[in-house]
Amino acid sequence: MLELKSLSKHFGGVRAVDGLGLEVREGEIFGLIGPNGSGKSTTVNLICGVFPVTAGEIRFEGRDITHAQPHVCLAAGIARTFQNIRLFGHLSVWQNLWVAQNALADRKSAGFVKRWFSGSARARDETGALLEFAGLAAKADDLAGNLSFGEQRRLELARALAAKPKMLLLDEPAAGMNMEEVGQLRERLGALREDGKTILLVEHVMELVMGVTDRIAVLNFGQKIAEGTPDEIQNDPLVREAYLGTSGQGDA
Amino acid sequence: MEDFLFDLIDLVQSIADGLLFGTTYAMIGIGFTLIFGVMDKLNMSYAAAAIAGAYASVAAFALVPLPAPVVFFVAAVAGGVFGYVIYLLCFRFIPLASPLATLMATVGMLLLIDEIVVHETDGMPQPYPALFDDVMIEFGPFGLRGDLMFVFLVSVVAMGLLLYLIYRTRLGIATRAVSQQPVAAQLCGIGLERTNAMTFVITGVLGGVAGAMIGAAVGVLSPLLTLPFTVKGLIVTVIGGLGSIPGAIVAGLLVGAFENAFQFLRGVTERDMYVMLLLFVFLFLRPGGIFSRPAGRD
Repeated sequence: MLELKSLSKHFGGVRAVDGLGLEVREGEIFGLIGPNGSGKSTTVNLICGVFPVTAGEIRFEGRDITHAQPHVCLAAGIARTFQNIRLFGHLSVWQNLWVAQNALADRKSAGFVKRWFSGSARARDETGALLEFAGLAAKADDLAGNLSFGEQRRLELARALAAKPKMLLLDEPAAGMNMEEVGQLRERLGALREDGKTILLVEHVMELVMGVTDRIAVLNFGQKIAEGTPDEIQNDPLVREAYLGTSGQGDA
Repeated sequence: MEDFLFDLIDLVQSIADGLLFGTTYAMIGIGFTLIFGVMDKLNMSYAAAAIAGAYASVAAFALVPLPAPVVFFVAAVAGGVFGYVIYLLCFRFIPLASPLATLMATVGMLLLIDEIVVHETDGMPQPYPALFDDVMIEFGPFGLRGDLMFVFLVSVVAMGLLLYLIYRTRLGIATRAVSQQPVAAQLCGIGLERTNAMTFVITGVLGGVAGAMIGAAVGVLSPLLTLPFTVKGLIVTVIGGLGSIPGAIVAGLLVGAFENAFQFLRGVTERDMYVMLLLFVFLFLRPGGIFSRPAGRD
C-alpha cells in the first residue's frame, strides 16, 4: 500500500534518512522503531509531505506522492498524529474534528459559496461519532487547549480519523501515557485494524509495539538495520546492539 | 462655571464623534491583525490598499455618476481585488522563511500605491460622496452627525459580518486553524495557499469598506491619508494585541475617542502626540494587548 524506495533526507551534512526502503501492506500495523535521532519522525514527515524529499520515491497505492503537499497527501488517504500534540488549541473540541472532516469535502467542489461560507449550525452533530470514539462527547464544547494530556492525545487520533483516511501515521502516540492508557490505546488500534485501516506506528513504548504490530522495521542512523515480525526483531543481534550497544542511546 | 460646563459638553461631543469615527480605525486594525494571525507577517500596505479601494470607486464615479451606496460597494469590491493582488505580489512567491522579505515587499507596495495615487490625481484631494451629511440627530446639548452615524453603522455591520465569517463558517474555522497550527491544518487537508489568499481577499473587502467610510467621513480622499491610517492601524493592532480581533475593535474605538478628545483639548497639531503616548502606556503596561494579562505577571 505504501512503498518507500531508497528514500533520503539530508539536513545540511546530516543524513537523517539514508536510502530507506519499506513496504507497508494493506490492513497491517507496521511498527517503525529505533533509537532517538534514528530518523523515524523524519520518515513520517517525508511521507506526509511536511519535509521535501532529498532523494528517492514515495508511492501510495501505486501513485507517486514523493513531492505532494500535505493536504494532497491527506486527499490521497494518509492522515497522521504528531509526537508533540498539535491541536487547534483555541478551537473547541468539536471544531477540531469538523475542520478535518470537512477539508476533503472542499475538494469535491460543492460550489464556491457552499464550500467556504456555509455555516456550522448542524456541524456539531456531524462530529458526534468521532466524539464518541475519542470518549470526548461530554467535552465537545471545551477548548482543545484546556483538555488533559490524555484527552488531547485521543482528540488528535480522532482528528486524524475525521478525514476517513486509508492509512494512519502515528508518531509516538503512547509518549507520556501510563500503562492503563497504553492498554486503552492498544485496544483502539486493534479496533482500527478491524475497521480495515493500515497503520504505520512510530513508537518507543515496546509493550505497545511488540503487542500490536504485524511487522516491524528498525532504523539506526537513518538506515534500516532489521525488518521482521515482533519475535524476529526481539531476537535480532543488530537491533540489540543499536539499542544497548556502542551508541549507548538505549532508551527503549 | 458656565464656561466649564460648555467645555465639558464639547469634550463629550468630541469623544462621541471620535468613537463613531473610531470604527474605521477598528476595521483597519482588524485587517492588520487577521493577516498577522494567519501569515505571521505584517502587511504594511493594508491601509494604503484600503484607501486605494476608495480611490478606485471615485474613478468609477468619475466615468458615470453613481449613487453613493454603489460607490461604497465598488470600493469594497476593489479592496478585495487589491487584497488578492497584494497577496500574489508580496506573499505568494516570496520566501516566507525570510522575516524581512515580505515586510519590505509590502512597504514597497505601500509606496507604489501612494505614487500611483499621487500621479493619477496630481496630488489633489478628491471629493468623496457621503450619505446623511445634512442630518443632525440632537440630544439636548449634544448632536450626532448623520454622516458619522452612517459610517458607524456600516462599519458595525461590516465587522459583524466578518466576525460571523470568522467564528461561524467553514472558511473562518479553517482560517483560525491555520493561524493556530499551520502544519497540522495542512495535514487536516486545508490548503494553506488557498486559505491565505481568501484571508487577503476578505480583509481587502473590509479595507475597501473602511476606505469608503473614511472618505465619507472626511469628505475627501487625499494621499495624505495613507500614512496616518497606516500608523493608526498599526497602533490599534498593537493596543488590541497582535492577532486579536475583539482587541482591534475595542482599541479602534479607544484610539478614535482618545484622539478626538485631545484634538479638542490640545488642538489638531498635538493630538497624535497623545495617541503615541497612549501607545507607549500600553506597551509598558500591557505589551500583549488590551485583553492580555498585565506586564510582569504570569
